[in-house]
Amino acid sequence: MNRRAVRISGRRLSLTNLEKDLYPSYGFTKAHVMEYYLLISKFILPHLKDRALTLKRYPEGVEKDFFFEKRCPYHHPSWVKTADIRRDKGDRMTVCLVNNLETLMWVENLASLELHVPLARAATPETPDSMVFDLDPGEQANILSCARVALILRELLSELRLASYVKTSGKKGLHVYIPLNRKQTTFEDTRKFSKAVASIMQKNYPELVTAKMAKEYRKARVFINWSQNSASKTMICVYSLRAREKPMVSFPLGWQELEKLARLNDPEKLHITHSKAVRRAEKQGEIFRDVLTKKQELPHL
Amino acid sequence: MKPRDPIPAPSKPLPSTGNDMTEQAIWNGTISFSLVAIPVRLVKAVEPGRVSFRMLHSKDYSTLARKMSCPEEDKIVPPEEIIRGYEIVPGKYILVTDEELESVSPERSRTIEIIEFIDMDEVDPVYYDHPYYLVPSKGGEKAYRLLVEVMRRTNKAGLAKFVMGEREYLVAVKSYEGALALITLHYSEEILPGDDFQPKDGKVEAEDKKRIKKSINKMMSGFNPGKYSDIRREKITDLLRNKAKKNGVVEAPGTGEEESEGPADLVAALQESMRKVKRKR
Repeated sequence: MNRRAVRISGRRLSLTNLEKDLYPSYGFTKAHVMEYYLLISKFILPHLKDRALTLKRYPEGVEKDFFFEKRCPYHHPSWVKTADIRRDKGDRMTVCLVNNLETLMWVENLASLELHVPLARAATPETPDSMVFDLDPGEQANILSCARVALILRELLSELRLASYVKTSGKKGLHVYIPLNRKQTTFEDTRKFSKAVASIMQKNYPELVTAKMAKEYRKARVFINWSQNSASKTMICVYSLRAREKPMVSFPLGWQELEKLARLNDPEKLHITHSKAVRRAEKQGEIFRDVLTKKQELPHL
Repeated sequence: MKPRDPIPAPSKPLPSTGNDMTEQAIWNGTISFSLVAIPVRLVKAVEPGRVSFRMLHSKDYSTLARKMSCPEEDKIVPPEEIIRGYEIVPGKYILVTDEELESVSPERSRTIEIIEFIDMDEVDPVYYDHPYYLVPSKGGEKAYRLLVEVMRRTNKAGLAKFVMGEREYLVAVKSYEGALALITLHYSEEILPGDDFQPKDGKVEAEDKKRIKKSINKMMSGFNPGKYSDIRREKITDLLRNKAKKNGVVEAPGTGEEESEGPADLVAALQESMRKVKRKR
C-alpha cells in the first residue's frame, strides 16, 4: 500500500493509495477527490459541522461495491470529534462530526466520496434546522421537470413568506431547502407542513407531480419526497461529490440561474461537475449559507 | 437512492454507562445488596438477528391481521368469547380465568435484590436465558462503577430474584465491558437431563485421547465472534436492498390519500397561495 504522511493544522494524517482511480471511466483518482474537497472545504465545512456524518464509502471506486457507515470507524484518530447519539431502536452509536479540514481529509482518505448528513445537528437530533423537498424525477421525467416543480414550489412558499433555496442532488434531481433555525420547530411540524405542500402540488399539477412513492405513479412525473423530513434520514450534503460515472456535485443554484438554465432546456447544463463547482463557488460565493442561519417560522400549523 | 436505510443491518449495541434518561428502558428500579441500593434501568443487550416479514394481501398489499377462528362453526371468534383452558388429556380441560392467573402472579417489585454472590464460572451456559444491560440512573453512577469494578476484578456475579412483567426471574448480574450485564437464568427444573445421552459402553483409548487433544490444540484460537456472521440474514438483506433498488416498493392502501392533507388552516392557506401562484403564471 502506498502511504504518504501529511500534516494538516498540526495533525498527522497518513494518506493511502492516492493514485487509486475512483472514477475509472472519467479518470479521477483519490488524490483528485482529496484535492476537490480541499478546494471546496471552506464552503462545505459549515454544512457538515456538528452533524452526524453517514459515510458512503467506495473503497474500490464508483463502479464497485459501496457501503454506508453510520458509526464512526473504530480506529479514528483521537482528534476526530465524535458524538454519541441514540438510534430509533434505542441503542447508542458513536458518529463522526466533520468539524475541520483534517477530519474531512481523513474521511476522504476512507474513500467516502459521498457525505450524507441529517437535517438536525447531533446535539439536538429532534430539531430540524431546515425543511426539505427532495424532487426526484420518475422515468421519462428529468432534471428539467424537477426545475419546473422547484420554481412553482418556490413561488408557493414565498406566498407564505418563506424563503427557499435550491441545490442539485448531483444525480438526477433537485433539493429545495427552507431554513428554519428555530429550536421550537420539530420534525413533526416539518413533516406535516411538507406533506400538505406536496399534496396540494399534486392536486394542482397532477401531470407534473406526484407525492406518492410507488413507481407506477412516478412515471413521467416528479416525485416530491417530503418524507425526508425525519430525524432518522439524511440528505446528501451541499457541495458533496456524488458517486456517478463522472464526479458530479450536489451544488447550490440561485433561483434566477435555475430559471435561466430551465429556459435553455438542456438538462446537461444542470449537472455540475467538480471543476465547474469549484470555479462557480469561488465566483458566486457561498449562496447556501442562509440555510444555516436564516430564521423562519412555518405558518398555519 | 437515498441514504435512508430501512433495511436491517447487523447491529452491535454497546453497553451504555451514560446517564441519558432517554435510553429505552424495559424496567426501572434499584439493584441492592446489604446496605447498597443503586438506581438502574434495564435495557436490551441483543437485537435478534431475524429479518421479519409482514403478511400482506397480494391484491392490494394491505397488511393482514390474525384472527382466532372456531373450526366447528367456521367463524371468527371475538375476544370476549375467548377463555383459557389447560389441557390435561386431549379434549379435556381445566378452565382458568384471568383473575386466577393474576392471583398467583408475583407482586410487582422495583428492586433487584442480590441474595448471594457466586463464581460465574460455576454457571453452565445451559442455564443462560437472555442477556440485558443495567444502566445507572441519576445519582447511581458512582456506586455502579464501584460494583462493576469489584465484580470484574473478582469475577463474581450477584444472584438475584427479580420480577418483570408477570414472572419472577432468577438472574445473574455480572460485569461486562465496564457495565453491568443482567442475564436471566433458567430455573433448574427447566433444564432437561443430559445424562440420558451419554453413551453407555465403549472404552476410551489413551492414544485416541492424545490424538484428539492434539488436533484440538492445533485448532485453538481466541474467541472472536466478529469473524462469524449470519450468512442467511446477510443474503436476505442484500436481496431486499437489490429489490428495493430495482423494483421499488409497494404501498399499502390508505397510507397516502385517505389520511388528512394537513391542518385545515394550513390547507386553506396553501390553497389560497396556490390560486395566486397560478394566476401569476
